[in-house]
Amino acid sequence: MKSLVSLITNNKYSINIRNLLNIKPVSLSIKNLNQISVSDAFLWRTDNGFNTVFKFTDILNLFYKIKNSFIEIHFYSKTNKKIKVINFKNLSLSNKIEINSQFLDDMHDYGVFYIYHFTNTEIPKDIIISNRCYTGYSKNNNLHSFIHGNALAKYTKINNKNNLPNYNSNIIKKTVFQNQTYKIQKLFQDFDRSELFFANPTNKKINFSVNKDIYALKNGCSLLIDISKYKTITIKSNCLFLRPIVFSYKNEFLDVHHA
Amino acid sequence: MNYYFGLKNSIFSSEIQIPFFKNKETKPENILLYKASILNNVWKIEKINNNKISSEFFIIKSNDHSNSDIFFLAHPNEVQNLDINKLTNINDYTETSPAYRANLKIIFKNGGFSSYQSEYPYSMIKKKGSILSSVHSLANINADSNYIFIKNIYERPIHKIFNCFLVNIKTKKIEEKFEIKTNFTNFIELNKKLIRPEIFLSTKEFLGIPIYASVKNKHVSFEHTHPPHEYVLSKDKFTIIGNLKKEINEITS
Repeated sequence: MKSLVSLITNNKYSINIRNLLNIKPVSLSIKNLNQISVSDAFLWRTDNGFNTVFKFTDILNLFYKIKNSFIEIHFYSKTNKKIKVINFKNLSLSNKIEINSQFLDDMHDYGVFYIYHFTNTEIPKDIIISNRCYTGYSKNNNLHSFIHGNALAKYTKINNKNNLPNYNSNIIKKTVFQNQTYKIQKLFQDFDRSELFFANPTNKKINFSVNKDIYALKNGCSLLIDISKYKTITIKSNCLFLRPIVFSYKNEFLDVHHA
Repeated sequence: MNYYFGLKNSIFSSEIQIPFFKNKETKPENILLYKASILNNVWKIEKINNNKISSEFFIIKSNDHSNSDIFFLAHPNEVQNLDINKLTNINDYTETSPAYRANLKIIFKNGGFSSYQSEYPYSMIKKKGSILSSVHSLANINADSNYIFIKNIYERPIHKIFNCFLVNIKTKKIEEKFEIKTNFTNFIELNKKLIRPEIFLSTKEFLGIPIYASVKNKHVSFEHTHPPHEYVLSKDKFTIIGNLKKEINEITS
């Protein structure tokens, strides 16, 4: 009986209704997926004197002892245009890449990137790995301020020997109404300036507001918003997991963290 | 139920901003901030009076906490009959989605600052276990200095000493060993030579949150590493992670 109830309340249509009515909403789902590598939507910044460092673990080696894995990192502009793909083989357990304007063909801007892990060897049937690793942001070549990954965004099959990979982004759920409220648990009044970075982790357009300011983001797009005029921030959206990255500035110092 | 904590030493001070609001519900009347500290081997619970700066946040500055103190939100009735020998899950006020967190900011003396959204869930307090954290992921070889804070909160009011190791997973050797204690924000300085991909921080008796701080020219970075189960989402994740922890525990045995 319990499994029947679960079947009824957790199917695609029920989840849509639960999210619509805000009754035990389901923010993300990886149900019925397997042998996939999931990536966060990581922010890269090369605007206004910023550069970015990305540190990632060879997850297949560390947890599954798969020695010959490799990764791809896909870089997108803020308007979701694919601008670069890089491949890495011969991975260490922990790896680092630097993303500056030179690396991105003289782009001084921001956007998102995704990392996917692959192997050509046999893998367990139910394997699902998630790269939620670490990005550091440096302004004017000062110390990088590091944050961890925060939101599952895109995924693809780990083992793509026979097919061209598909990159899907339907993990984070959205709803019809802007009924999801998130108030950031921080006071912004003591800083010279603060910004919020939003990435749309879904495969559809999302609408949101930051206090009284209204925004929309098409799928895969990202946006930096100056919030210096506000002391506190309330975000309302139709996305069930929309958590910005916070940049707070005071004098020459910078603090970056997940909301 | 979440607990909150701060840290301080000769290098850093900290400030904790504990919110007083929920996203989706009306704020219950008379929710107050309490401090728990260990005194004569029992939990001493005190109401915090002077730190509420608005209807929305409690602010706890460095002078108002020690590395042993922890903070929680509760109704006065819930605190009246607390077990002084064991922390318990007294309410679900902070059981929210998104998670109910506090902003924990560290401040370098005469320099910069860095923060993350912090909480210590009750589910970690009642369990023993082990930490596994990749040092290379957050320590910065280009920084002037690197530190690791290891926060443990354990249900019993004891400061029990336990070992923390920096382990080389390739050579299967212990590179460094530290004594740390329960119910404390422990602090170690990291030798730059150990910022390598094969070096992991581990404990095997008690859980905790490893938080990395780096400093360069008075600029600061401060962030915790993910627990291993964030990387493996398969149904058998606890077996997979258990095997890795077992491998590392064999090095430190």
